[in-house]
Amino acid sequence: MEGQIIANAFHHAYWGFPIATYFWLVGASAGSFVISTLGWVFGIKKYKSTAFFASNMAIALLLIVPIILIIDLGKPFRFFHLLMLPSFSHWSAPMMWGSLFILSYPIGMMFYSYFVYKKNEKWARILGILAVVLALCTHWYTGVVIQLNPSRIPNHASVAPILFLTGAYVSGIGLLNICLWIRNYFVGPDSQVSTGLIADMARLMLYGIVFDLFLLWNEFLQMTYGFGEEYTMLYDVLLGVFRWPYFYLEIVWGLLFPLIILVIPKINRQLPWLLLASFMCATGVYGMRIWWVMANFYYQGHY
Amino acid sequence: MGERVYGFNGVSPSAGKPGRKRFAMVIDLRRCTGCNACTASCKTAYDVPLGASRIWLMEAETGEFPNTKRNVLPRLCNQCDHPTCVRNCPTKATFKHPDGYVLQRYNRCIGCRTCMVACPYNARHFLPEYRRDARNPRNVADKCDFCIVRVTRGLAPICVTSCTGGAIIFGDMNDPESEVSRTFLDNKTFTLRPEMGNAPQVFYIGLNEKIADPEFAFHHRSKQLHRRYNTFKRNSEVGGEMAGNIIDTDMGLVGLIRQGLNNFRTFFKDAPHKIFRGLF
Repeated sequence: MEGQIIANAFHHAYWGFPIATYFWLVGASAGSFVISTLGWVFGIKKYKSTAFFASNMAIALLLIVPIILIIDLGKPFRFFHLLMLPSFSHWSAPMMWGSLFILSYPIGMMFYSYFVYKKNEKWARILGILAVVLALCTHWYTGVVIQLNPSRIPNHASVAPILFLTGAYVSGIGLLNICLWIRNYFVGPDSQVSTGLIADMARLMLYGIVFDLFLLWNEFLQMTYGFGEEYTMLYDVLLGVFRWPYFYLEIVWGLLFPLIILVIPKINRQLPWLLLASFMCATGVYGMRIWWVMANFYYQGHY
Repeated sequence: MGERVYGFNGVSPSAGKPGRKRFAMVIDLRRCTGCNACTASCKTAYDVPLGASRIWLMEAETGEFPNTKRNVLPRLCNQCDHPTCVRNCPTKATFKHPDGYVLQRYNRCIGCRTCMVACPYNARHFLPEYRRDARNPRNVADKCDFCIVRVTRGLAPICVTSCTGGAIIFGDMNDPESEVSRTFLDNKTFTLRPEMGNAPQVFYIGLNEKIADPEFAFHHRSKQLHRRYNTFKRNSEVGGEMAGNIIDTDMGLVGLIRQGLNNFRTFFKDAPHKIFRGLF
């Protein structure tokens, strides 16, 4: 027995909860920034009042990201190797693209926030378009980092980045709703966000939930009809060892319960229910980040 | 040079760069006794930390009494022709040498562990903060390098030298007279996980399809071994969490929360060491 342990019969989970947290933070940031741009870029005027707060929240969330990423590196002070163009940078590596996105995205958001603050329509729109593309790219790349590994079974699918982006959208709106509700206690009546607006944002979240469930259903189908490894991964890992983050936390708590709340006509415009649904979505997506990062390590760790 | 016989899985040894050597390995499992001499000698030679290996043995018992068989499979870096680890490394810390090795540059590696995620063979490991010899690299990825320091001096890799059954055959595939070339031509060979598209350059003779299958490996490991391994990881300070930690088998909600808390605890515990001690 000891012989097998010493001879490394098992392998390690190389990325853990810190990386799952990073994925969640980047996603929530991208999601809240998309809402921020609805008013100034896409011309839906009722969302203009939330733009400045949502953008700043996205910046604040994204400021935590480099700390987690850099500390999680084995050699934190070597993070500048990623920026040593062109000798060190390896363009076929998604992490290389991501390091550029993570650098440029907050800068774009900061300029956008500044012009929103100054109420400069033209430049807020231009920089908003730029920053929202960067926001989507930043989260798209986190999906791609996991996707482009052929042996990581549930992750090596073209649906991966879209699933990531949908989760980001849902969790971003959920977190933003809660933060806007907390903000209402600290600002004057003129700046407060109405329950109606929160309900409208929750409606946007509902579309994301439906699309997320649709994508998960597709992935589920593929894995049930897939080859042996996919089948094992689904039934023994995701619905077995990882049932808590995958099934209970993400699907039941994070998607199905909010879906039920948001489709019942009587309660889908009442603040407590909206906040509950938002909280469920924001936390439920963390379950997706956990299984997405770690389930493949668990499965392949036996090989 | 005669026409090459393609392996059962359709993976042929690459011709490599013209005029260069093409180092590859053929492992004859019919001659492997599972003595672990390769593992022990490699660990000794390269000071491979506890809990990680450059070469290791997968073992599985198949069949039912009295027709049982103990299958042994030495595993190491496959020195792939199309390595995903190289493709995914953001700093070019790992690269494909024209002679066939896939090598690691410790001074470039940032320790992001993307290469380990990318490798379908689990051939890479993370060097922990605490090494027996402080001059050894720390907090970076490491892997088998076909003993390039020995091979360039005319010696065989240490696992080949120490193999008691003569099962591991190493050499230049571009030389038709080499033992590895002849063995490869005369036998039907198999590679591990050819469907990954990495074109692995370690070939096995007499590979048991069950033990080569990750799904079989997943189902075969006993719960007792899981528990022993998790206890070993929890009780040893070797490398801490940064060297990786397997998730508990009987995870449940409590196990999941404990895993998360442990992850964050060691994440913050390791941070000052990495920042102030392991500087560059």
